[in-house]
Amino acid sequence: MKKTKEKSDKAQKVIDRMGQKLNRQMAGSLLACVHCGMCTESCHYVLANPDDPTYAPAYKADRIRKIFKRHFDWTGRVLPKWVGAASVNTDEDLEELKDIVFGKCTNCRRCTINCPMGVDYATFNRMARGLLVSVGVMPEGVAVVSKDQWETGNQMGVLKEDYLDTLEWMEEELQEELDDPNIKIPVDVPDCEVVYSINPREVKYDPRSIADAAKIFHMAGEKWTMPSEGWDMTNFGLFSGDDDLGGSVAGRLFESVEELNGKKLVISECGHGFRSTRCEGPNWAKTDVPFEMESSVNTMLRYIKEGRIKVDKSKNPEPVTFHDSCNNARSCGLFEEPRELLSLVCENFQEMYPNRAENYCCTGGGGAMSMSEYTPRRLKSGVVKANQLKETGADYVVTSCHNCVDGLTDVIRHYELDMKVTQLVNLVANAIVIDEKPAVPAEAPAEPEVLEEVPVAVGAEGEELPLAGRRILVADDEPDQLDFISMVLEDNGAEILTAETGDEVLEVARREKPDVLTLDLHMPGRDVGEVFELIREDPELQDLKVCIITGKPELRKLIYDRSVRPPEGYVDKPVDEKRLLLNVRKVLEVVHQDA
Amino acid sequence: MEAAVASDPQITIGGTLVRLVRSDITELEVDAFVFYAQSDLALGSGFGGMIGLRGGASIQKELDEMAPVDDLEAVVSGAGKLNAEYIIHAVGPKFREDDIEPKLSTTMQNCLQRATEKGIKTLAFPAMGAGYYGVPAAVSAKVMRAALETYLSEESGLEEVVICVLDNPQFKAFEAALSA
Repeated sequence: MKKTKEKSDKAQKVIDRMGQKLNRQMAGSLLACVHCGMCTESCHYVLANPDDPTYAPAYKADRIRKIFKRHFDWTGRVLPKWVGAASVNTDEDLEELKDIVFGKCTNCRRCTINCPMGVDYATFNRMARGLLVSVGVMPEGVAVVSKDQWETGNQMGVLKEDYLDTLEWMEEELQEELDDPNIKIPVDVPDCEVVYSINPREVKYDPRSIADAAKIFHMAGEKWTMPSEGWDMTNFGLFSGDDDLGGSVAGRLFESVEELNGKKLVISECGHGFRSTRCEGPNWAKTDVPFEMESSVNTMLRYIKEGRIKVDKSKNPEPVTFHDSCNNARSCGLFEEPRELLSLVCENFQEMYPNRAENYCCTGGGGAMSMSEYTPRRLKSGVVKANQLKETGADYVVTSCHNCVDGLTDVIRHYELDMKVTQLVNLVANAIVIDEKPAVPAEAPAEPEVLEEVPVAVGAEGEELPLAGRRILVADDEPDQLDFISMVLEDNGAEILTAETGDEVLEVARREKPDVLTLDLHMPGRDVGEVFELIREDPELQDLKVCIITGKPELRKLIYDRSVRPPEGYVDKPVDEKRLLLNVRKVLEVVHQDA
Repeated sequence: MEAAVASDPQITIGGTLVRLVRSDITELEVDAFVFYAQSDLALGSGFGGMIGLRGGASIQKELDEMAPVDDLEAVVSGAGKLNAEYIIHAVGPKFREDDIEPKLSTTMQNCLQRATEKGIKTLAFPAMGAGYYGVPAAVSAKVMRAALETYLSEESGLEEVVICVLDNPQFKAFEAALSA
């Protein structure tokens, strides 16, 4: 290996480590490019930025390739200028490389399948990310999420007690929905047929998907459980290039299934989670996996085919289209199963073009949703996805990936498309025909917990008003949203207060002391994160429950990274009446131990 | 103090029990535990996030008064509503910087010194620098074992040291180091 003088410590360590990370596949890709340009039109960044050559996959690859040539290929050592070989020398060089490998590529691998030479740029882009991470050079969001997953065992820093509390909450919701107090979301039950693992996003932002999955398992009569530890099937090691993190996370999940003696690990709908766990995890963790692993898409499809659940597609009449997650589809070949499932549970499925392996990234892949500094670039590149979505004319875009849910939601909002995002688990749960007991008796039920009831009043026509007697401060700067949320809550008996700026939120909260605050994250005036922290620190507002309602998921860190008690609830925009009420009622039920 | 389990690997050094567990360090019932900190003492994510959420905002406020802290130094804060009484915030080496082993050893020494000064009897360490900060678990284990041997061979006031790791590879590395 060629060493040069006057390098920063970090630059030298990146070069040293590159030598350890190179394998035949990467070396082949680093040597094979003939700069034919076929990759250029395959990249959504290029298509959205046709006048900027720095987004071209071949250009981006050359930023890594030149280092390889300078230090590991004889042509670069002998004739560096002739072959474009050059090293990295300074910390600034590493920052420039960071901007490319993290900020200009989502590792979607669309260029890979369009390269006639078989260059897998995403593979060595991931390697370059890992090299930078190993010396501490990474976007702040990558650092935050990586540290969370290393140390808390899940990539969103969900505390164990919050995870278990959410499962209990969803169990209660399901018992109420199916009018059956015996339904359980089993935790740590040994010897089950299925151990179900989820994305922490489901706990933090989309708990309904857990209840929907539980409903499907229950109706199929499955003997299933969720682990109390090692439950996160996502793996930020795939995005950060840190194989050690990848191995630690996958290992913890595999161990939890083994400890429970589970026969099959079912992975909820998450593209990178599926790829990391099913395909990469055993290699990273350096372990054999003595049980089966499958995507919940296959599980749901199997239940329908085996007659374990009955579905009625007329319950999902709206036009839907399907977005293939890059990791599920391009990297793992999960093309037809979701389509077959859609055809069984939806009346009106319309294909998006291009699709399957040729589909375009949602823009949120490769950990992009955690790198807020690149949001403007990401959203600009989203024009390709926005056009694809718009041409379908569908009301809903379905995807089997939580990352894609966030990425697509952002694109839909940014380009003002009249669409909603949903997942197969939601559609299957909605289509289930509930007219008989489950096929096989579920686990013996425990005594149903007596729930603390939300005070109710009786309306003029005798209907129950679940929010009667509650005072709710609705904070949003968008008049339509403010009116809609206020109207829904008022119709359900709440007394409504409103605020349209951060300062107003503080002022009204301190003056009126409401029971609940629904808080938009993006409002004029004082920073909403600061407002939230001031509320949490105000002794007179300790009883105030906060439900975040946002269409900008990348702003979550404004709230959740603060060292104060997190919000009691969270709802993504666009918000619908059912979800809003569900979350506000749950927020009101939260009792804090230190309250 | 969390009850010792017979199967926990453990050794005795100079009268102090050194025990290896796989658990959540922020929930241990010890007098103090060590948090691998940054020099600005921002708790951040990971263990820091858990400390902030479970322990309350008072911890970060106390730290803000003490920051910044020199590299390799260790400072003590209260532990808010956590089971421990104190947290020792140690600014150890990170991300493959040069001279990791002597730097880690100095950081350990400073943590143990702070513990003695506070009269702490039971102290928990994470796998210092391993995991997110990239120190190989075997290196962390070797340096920690050596630092404990040196410090605990003289009167320290410590009755028990718990090494609390987060995954199986870390556990195996420390198990090997303790049995060496």
